[in-house]
Amino acid sequence: MDKPGGTTHAAANESNQPLPQIGISEILGLVELLRAKGGREDIYKLARELQMEFGDTLTVIRAAELLGLVHTPGGDVEIDKAGDEIGRAKIGDRKGIIHDQLLKLPVFNTLSGFLKEKEDHRASRDEVLEKLAELIPNENAEQTFTTLVQWGRYAELFGYNDDSETFYLDTEASA
Amino acid sequence: MARGPELFKLEHVTQRFRLPQGDVTVLNDVSFTASEGEFIAIVGPSGAGKSTILRLISGLLKPSQGQVIYKGRPLTQTNLEAAMVFQNFGLLPWLTVAQNVELGLEPRGLDRAARRKRVATYIAKVGLEGYEEAYPRELSGGMKQRVGLARALAVEPEILLMDEPFSSLDALTSINLRDELIDIWSDRDFPVNTVVMVTHMIEEAIELADRVLVLSSRPGQIAGDLQIDLPRPRDKRDKAFSEYVDKIFSLIA
Repeated sequence: MDKPGGTTHAAANESNQPLPQIGISEILGLVELLRAKGGREDIYKLARELQMEFGDTLTVIRAAELLGLVHTPGGDVEIDKAGDEIGRAKIGDRKGIIHDQLLKLPVFNTLSGFLKEKEDHRASRDEVLEKLAELIPNENAEQTFTTLVQWGRYAELFGYNDDSETFYLDTEASA
Repeated sequence: MARGPELFKLEHVTQRFRLPQGDVTVLNDVSFTASEGEFIAIVGPSGAGKSTILRLISGLLKPSQGQVIYKGRPLTQTNLEAAMVFQNFGLLPWLTVAQNVELGLEPRGLDRAARRKRVATYIAKVGLEGYEEAYPRELSGGMKQRVGLARALAVEPEILLMDEPFSSLDALTSINLRDELIDIWSDRDFPVNTVVMVTHMIEEAIELADRVLVLSSRPGQIAGDLQIDLPRPRDKRDKAFSEYVDKIFSLIA
């Protein structure tokens, strides 16, 4: 996987990074705010302006970075091409961009492949948790699962039925 | 959006509530007229009766004095042409996203197929495709409020009432939802053309609305009525934007 841009950004795509517990709306809000500021801002200043804890601000930035929407040169956060595109895009077109970015992440890519290999493109919650424990060994698989479902649903990559605890490929959209 | 004919007006509305510690006057002689196509924000300190105005327009509350005229007739019962977005989302936890959005459609005489189509349309409009079978407990605040918005839009009301719709969201999520609301609002297919939003955030009011009504502290009275003549999207760093902030702030203070 060759990625241009900052070193942290490239590194994020090489290994199985833990998935931060951050919702898509927060990530989109960060991207929109950065665009309104001309694309780059000092992280400390950003946290102060948002009246957010510095650590919490960093977690959102880490999530956006993992998705390839921003990178972090020095103490700043700067928007990337995909971030700028998503900021410009209409609501309906944003999902496609996140979909493509998610498939660049090994966790999403591997799980998507795992489901594709299955005849009905479905897996139980337990199977997915087991898979996650293999992919990101030192992380809480339950927490990762939550983010996986949230991001996967937004991108219409994965679906999840909490009644039957079934995780599945959202084939309608990913076909 | 062009300002159209009169949609509703409040005429000398006074609202009192009887509480155990005595009567409280929340609104005192409030009058204003709203036209079709306007996006009105009502700002003011807490307790100024902002949300009470929304409840009066929705017909859930009858004024102690004065009247609410909707399309030329006094409003005497629940206003079926109005839909509300709540601060705390107002979702039913045992229903899925799609079922929550469908909720307001059943009493409106739509058959099952028409309801399903309506639900799909508005779920797409607010960016919730993929979440149809999720339960509220599985959603972030931002996604919950999208469900609230889709549910209100799905009934295709003449007027959308929003009660502090972004104030229980974190800073970044509310930036995102405001941005997407402007996107939805500027869409030609947007079913609603009149919006009344209550907020305690002056900047939010100026960012979104065509017109800002300023209420004084309890009992609420109209302390100002300003047209916001700025192109969208609006930039908070703009000099004209901060002049509006200062003006409204001085009206409240």
